[in-house]
Amino acid sequence: MADPKSAEITITLSNDELHILINLVEQLLELLGEANFTHHYQSNDPFAQLMFAAMGNIQSPVEQPQDPVLRRLLPNAYADAESSAEFRKYTEMSLRTTKQKYLFHLRQQLLPAVEKELVKADIQVSDPTAWVIAINDLRLALAVRLDIEQSTYEKYELMKNSDPQKPLFAIYFWLGGLQERLITHF
Amino acid sequence: MSSQTQVEETLDLSKFFDNLWVTIVWDDPVNLMNYVTYVFIKLFSFSKEKAHKLMMQVHTEGKAVVASGSREEMERVVQQLHEHGLWATLQRDDHGRS
Repeated sequence: MADPKSAEITITLSNDELHILINLVEQLLELLGEANFTHHYQSNDPFAQLMFAAMGNIQSPVEQPQDPVLRRLLPNAYADAESSAEFRKYTEMSLRTTKQKYLFHLRQQLLPAVEKELVKADIQVSDPTAWVIAINDLRLALAVRLDIEQSTYEKYELMKNSDPQKPLFAIYFWLGGLQERLITHF
Repeated sequence: MSSQTQVEETLDLSKFFDNLWVTIVWDDPVNLMNYVTYVFIKLFSFSKEKAHKLMMQVHTEGKAVVASGSREEMERVVQQLHEHGLWATLQRDDHGRS
Protein backbone atom coordinates (compact mmCIF):
# COMPACT_ATOMS: atom_id res chain seq x y z
CA MET A 1 0.00 0.00 0.00
CA ALA A 2 1.16 3.47 -0.79
CA ASP A 3 1.93 5.79 2.06
CA PRO A 4 -0.75 8.50 1.82
CA LYS A 5 1.75 11.11 3.01
CA SER A 6 4.05 10.43 0.10
CA ALA A 7 1.21 10.48 -2.42
CA GLU A 8 1.73 13.36 -4.79
CA ILE A 9 -1.11 15.50 -5.95
CA THR A 10 -1.44 15.94 -9.67
CA ILE A 11 -3.74 18.61 -11.03
CA THR A 12 -4.72 18.39 -14.68
CA LEU A 13 -5.46 21.71 -16.32
CA SER A 14 -6.52 22.48 -19.86
CA ASN A 15 -4.76 25.19 -21.80
CA ASP A 16 -7.68 27.57 -21.18
CA GLU A 17 -7.68 26.81 -17.47
CA LEU A 18 -3.93 27.39 -17.27
CA HIS A 19 -4.25 30.77 -18.93
CA ILE A 20 -7.18 31.81 -16.77
CA LEU A 21 -5.37 30.79 -13.61
CA ILE A 22 -2.08 32.49 -14.45
CA ASN A 23 -3.91 35.64 -15.54
CA LEU A 24 -5.75 35.85 -12.25
CA VAL A 25 -2.55 35.16 -10.29
CA GLU A 26 -0.65 37.87 -12.13
CA GLN A 27 -3.42 40.41 -11.72
CA LEU A 28 -3.68 39.77 -8.00
CA LEU A 29 0.11 39.97 -7.66
CA GLU A 30 -0.06 43.30 -9.44
CA LEU A 31 -2.75 44.52 -7.12
CA LEU A 32 -0.73 43.44 -4.09
CA GLY A 33 2.15 45.54 -5.35
CA GLU A 34 4.43 43.26 -7.28
CA ALA A 35 5.33 44.16 -10.84
CA ASN A 36 8.70 42.52 -11.49
CA PHE A 37 7.68 39.98 -14.06
CA THR A 38 6.45 39.76 -17.63
CA HIS A 39 2.76 39.43 -18.15
CA HIS A 40 1.21 36.62 -20.10
CA TYR A 41 -1.82 38.80 -20.40
CA GLN A 42 -2.62 39.40 -24.05
CA SER A 43 -4.40 42.68 -24.62
CA ASN A 44 -6.08 41.45 -27.82
CA ASP A 45 -7.72 38.56 -26.04
CA PRO A 46 -11.26 39.65 -25.08
CA PHE A 47 -11.49 37.01 -22.40
CA ALA A 48 -8.32 38.18 -20.74
CA GLN A 49 -9.60 41.73 -20.99
CA LEU A 50 -12.73 40.69 -19.17
CA MET A 51 -10.71 39.19 -16.33
CA PHE A 52 -8.42 42.17 -16.36
CA ALA A 53 -11.40 44.45 -15.90
CA ALA A 54 -12.68 42.31 -13.07
CA MET A 55 -9.44 42.13 -11.12
CA GLY A 56 -8.65 45.82 -11.10
CA ASN A 57 -6.82 48.44 -12.98
CA ILE A 58 -3.22 47.43 -13.56
CA GLN A 59 -2.19 51.05 -14.19
CA SER A 60 -3.38 52.29 -10.84
CA PRO A 61 -0.85 52.96 -8.10
CA VAL A 62 -0.08 50.20 -5.67
CA GLU A 63 -1.04 52.30 -2.69
CA GLN A 64 -4.76 51.79 -2.93
CA PRO A 65 -6.05 50.85 0.47
CA GLN A 66 -9.45 52.02 -0.77
CA ASP A 67 -9.66 49.15 -3.22
CA PRO A 68 -12.37 46.81 -1.90
CA VAL A 69 -10.35 43.71 -2.90
CA LEU A 70 -7.40 44.91 -0.83
CA ARG A 71 -9.74 45.78 2.00
CA ARG A 72 -10.91 42.15 2.01
CA LEU A 73 -7.45 40.59 1.61
CA LEU A 74 -5.83 42.95 4.14
CA PRO A 75 -8.69 43.49 6.58
CA ASN A 76 -8.81 45.52 9.76
CA ALA A 77 -7.70 43.59 12.84
CA TYR A 78 -9.76 45.66 15.28
CA ALA A 79 -13.25 47.09 15.33
CA ASP A 80 -11.88 50.56 16.02
CA ALA A 81 -10.01 52.49 13.36
CA GLU A 82 -7.19 53.71 15.56
CA SER A 83 -6.04 50.30 16.79
CA SER A 84 -6.47 48.90 13.28
CA ALA A 85 -4.27 51.60 11.78
CA GLU A 86 -1.59 51.01 14.37
CA PHE A 87 -1.66 47.24 13.74
CA ARG A 88 -1.63 47.76 9.97
CA LYS A 89 1.43 49.99 10.20
CA TYR A 90 3.49 47.10 11.51
CA THR A 91 1.91 44.13 9.81
CA GLU A 92 0.42 45.01 6.42
CA MET A 93 3.68 44.76 4.51
CA SER A 94 4.39 41.29 5.83
CA LEU A 95 0.81 40.22 5.09
CA ARG A 96 1.17 41.42 1.50
CA THR A 97 4.50 39.64 1.18
CA THR A 98 3.09 36.36 2.49
CA LYS A 99 0.21 36.49 0.03
CA GLN A 100 2.60 37.32 -2.82
CA LYS A 101 4.79 34.38 -1.83
CA TYR A 102 1.93 31.89 -2.22
CA LEU A 103 0.78 33.45 -5.49
CA PHE A 104 4.34 33.42 -6.83
CA HIS A 105 4.67 29.77 -5.94
CA LEU A 106 1.49 28.96 -7.84
CA ARG A 107 2.70 31.04 -10.78
CA GLN A 108 6.06 29.22 -10.84
CA GLN A 109 4.23 25.90 -10.93
CA LEU A 110 2.01 26.97 -13.82
CA LEU A 111 4.59 28.80 -15.91
CA PRO A 112 6.42 25.83 -17.51
CA ALA A 113 3.12 24.38 -18.76
CA VAL A 114 1.97 27.80 -20.01
CA GLU A 115 5.19 28.26 -21.95
CA LYS A 116 4.94 24.82 -23.56
CA GLU A 117 1.45 25.72 -24.82
CA LEU A 118 0.23 22.23 -23.96
CA VAL A 119 -3.38 21.31 -24.73
CA LYS A 120 -3.55 19.69 -21.32
CA ALA A 121 -1.01 19.79 -18.52
CA ASP A 122 -0.50 17.46 -15.57
CA ILE A 123 1.05 19.56 -12.83
CA GLN A 124 2.67 17.94 -9.81
CA VAL A 125 1.62 20.11 -6.89
CA SER A 126 4.79 20.59 -4.86
CA ASP A 127 3.24 22.67 -2.08
CA PRO A 128 -0.52 22.05 -1.80
CA THR A 129 -0.81 24.49 1.11
CA ALA A 130 0.52 27.35 -1.03
CA TRP A 131 -1.90 26.39 -3.82
CA VAL A 132 -4.92 26.26 -1.54
CA ILE A 133 -4.14 29.61 0.10
CA ALA A 134 -3.36 31.33 -3.21
CA ILE A 135 -6.53 29.98 -4.82
CA ASN A 136 -8.51 31.13 -1.79
CA ASP A 137 -7.17 34.65 -2.23
CA LEU A 138 -8.12 34.57 -5.92
CA ARG A 139 -11.65 33.52 -4.96
CA LEU A 140 -11.86 36.28 -2.33
CA ALA A 141 -10.73 38.85 -4.89
CA LEU A 142 -13.18 37.68 -7.55
CA ALA A 143 -15.98 37.51 -4.99
CA VAL A 144 -15.50 41.18 -4.12
CA ARG A 145 -15.63 42.18 -7.79
CA LEU A 146 -18.64 39.98 -8.48
CA ASP A 147 -20.44 40.89 -5.25
CA ILE A 148 -20.79 37.25 -4.26
CA GLU A 149 -23.40 36.40 -1.61
CA GLN A 150 -24.60 33.21 0.05
CA SER A 151 -27.20 32.54 -2.63
CA THR A 152 -25.06 33.43 -5.63
CA TYR A 153 -24.98 29.94 -7.14
CA GLU A 154 -28.76 29.97 -7.62
CA LYS A 155 -28.47 33.36 -9.33
CA TYR A 156 -25.64 32.07 -11.50
CA GLU A 157 -27.78 29.18 -12.71
CA LEU A 158 -30.48 31.63 -13.72
CA MET A 159 -28.07 33.93 -15.57
CA LYS A 160 -28.33 34.09 -19.34
CA ASN A 161 -25.34 32.72 -21.25
CA SER A 162 -25.06 36.07 -22.99
CA ASP A 163 -24.49 37.84 -19.68
CA PRO A 164 -20.93 39.21 -19.93
CA GLN A 165 -20.30 38.44 -16.25
CA LYS A 166 -21.32 34.80 -16.51
CA PRO A 167 -17.83 33.51 -17.47
CA LEU A 168 -16.35 35.20 -14.40
CA PHE A 169 -18.90 33.52 -12.17
CA ALA A 170 -18.04 30.23 -13.86
CA ILE A 171 -14.35 30.83 -13.10
CA TYR A 172 -15.19 31.64 -9.49
CA PHE A 173 -17.04 28.35 -9.02
CA TRP A 174 -14.39 26.43 -10.94
CA LEU A 175 -11.73 27.80 -8.55
CA GLY A 176 -13.86 26.59 -5.63
CA GLY A 177 -13.93 23.11 -7.15
CA LEU A 178 -10.17 23.15 -7.65
CA GLN A 179 -9.68 24.23 -4.04
CA GLU A 180 -11.98 21.46 -2.79
CA ARG A 181 -10.03 18.89 -4.80
CA LEU A 182 -6.76 20.01 -3.20
CA ILE A 183 -8.19 20.10 0.33
CA THR A 184 -9.42 16.50 0.10
CA HIS A 185 -5.76 15.47 -0.24
CA PHE A 186 -4.80 16.91 3.14
CA MET B 1 -0.41 22.89 49.47
CA SER B 2 -2.07 26.07 48.43
CA SER B 3 -3.14 28.85 50.68
CA GLN B 4 -6.46 30.40 49.73
CA THR B 5 -5.70 33.57 51.70
CA GLN B 6 -2.56 34.12 49.71
CA VAL B 7 -4.42 33.64 46.42
CA GLU B 8 -7.03 36.21 47.40
CA GLU B 9 -4.33 38.71 48.23
CA THR B 10 -2.41 38.31 45.01
CA LEU B 11 -5.07 37.64 42.38
CA ASP B 12 -6.55 40.84 41.06
CA LEU B 13 -9.40 39.60 38.87
CA SER B 14 -10.03 42.84 37.02
CA LYS B 15 -6.37 43.01 36.08
CA PHE B 16 -6.52 39.38 34.94
CA PHE B 17 -9.51 40.01 32.67
CA ASP B 18 -8.04 43.23 31.33
CA ASN B 19 -5.18 41.19 29.97
CA LEU B 20 -7.43 38.61 28.34
CA TRP B 21 -8.10 39.07 24.64
CA VAL B 22 -9.98 36.94 22.14
CA THR B 23 -9.75 36.30 18.43
CA ILE B 24 -13.04 36.19 16.54
CA VAL B 25 -13.54 34.68 13.09
CA TRP B 26 -16.45 36.17 11.13
CA ASP B 27 -18.61 34.40 8.57
CA ASP B 28 -18.26 35.27 4.90
CA PRO B 29 -19.94 33.78 1.85
CA VAL B 30 -16.69 32.89 0.05
CA ASN B 31 -14.47 30.70 2.21
CA LEU B 32 -15.37 27.04 1.76
CA MET B 33 -16.43 25.13 4.88
CA ASN B 34 -13.71 22.51 4.30
CA TYR B 35 -11.12 25.24 3.91
CA VAL B 36 -12.06 26.99 7.16
CA THR B 37 -11.94 23.65 9.02
CA TYR B 38 -8.53 22.94 7.45
CA VAL B 39 -7.18 26.34 8.55
CA PHE B 40 -8.37 25.80 12.14
CA ILE B 41 -6.65 22.40 12.26
CA LYS B 42 -3.47 23.79 10.72
CA LEU B 43 -3.15 26.89 12.92
CA PHE B 44 -4.53 25.64 16.23
CA SER B 45 -3.85 21.88 16.03
CA PHE B 46 -7.54 21.29 16.82
CA SER B 47 -9.03 17.83 16.36
CA LYS B 48 -11.09 17.47 13.19
CA GLU B 49 -14.24 17.39 15.35
CA LYS B 50 -13.43 20.57 17.25
CA ALA B 51 -12.38 22.43 14.08
CA HIS B 52 -15.59 21.35 12.34
CA LYS B 53 -17.73 22.44 15.30
CA LEU B 54 -16.10 25.89 15.39
CA MET B 55 -16.45 26.26 11.63
CA MET B 56 -20.16 25.44 11.93
CA GLN B 57 -20.50 28.01 14.71
CA VAL B 58 -18.98 30.66 12.43
CA HIS B 59 -21.29 29.58 9.63
CA THR B 60 -24.56 29.46 11.61
CA GLU B 61 -24.01 32.17 14.22
CA GLY B 62 -21.98 34.54 12.05
CA LYS B 63 -18.89 34.43 14.26
CA ALA B 64 -16.95 32.37 16.78
CA VAL B 65 -14.17 32.89 19.30
CA VAL B 66 -11.31 30.69 18.10
CA ALA B 67 -8.53 31.68 20.50
CA SER B 68 -7.85 33.63 23.67
CA GLY B 69 -4.74 34.93 25.35
CA SER B 70 -2.62 38.05 25.62
CA ARG B 71 -3.09 40.89 23.18
CA GLU B 72 0.24 40.12 21.51
CA GLU B 73 -0.68 36.47 21.08
CA MET B 74 -4.05 37.37 19.59
CA GLU B 75 -2.46 39.86 17.18
CA ARG B 76 -0.23 37.06 15.94
CA VAL B 77 -3.23 34.73 15.53
CA VAL B 78 -5.22 37.38 13.63
CA GLN B 79 -2.27 37.96 11.33
CA GLN B 80 -2.04 34.23 10.58
CA LEU B 81 -5.78 34.02 9.92
CA HIS B 82 -5.51 36.99 7.53
CA GLU B 83 -2.64 35.24 5.77
CA HIS B 84 -5.06 32.37 5.15
CA GLY B 85 -7.81 34.69 3.93
CA LEU B 86 -10.11 34.33 6.92
CA TRP B 87 -11.85 37.42 8.22
CA ALA B 88 -10.70 37.80 11.84
CA THR B 89 -10.50 40.50 14.50
CA LEU B 90 -9.28 40.66 18.07
CA GLN B 91 -10.88 42.36 21.04
CA ARG B 92 -10.78 42.46 24.80
CA ASP B 93 -12.62 39.51 26.30
CA ASP B 94 -15.77 41.01 27.81
CA HIS B 95 -17.40 37.68 28.53
CA GLY B 96 -19.79 37.95 31.46
CA ARG B 97 -19.10 41.62 32.02
CA SER B 98 -21.27 43.35 29.47
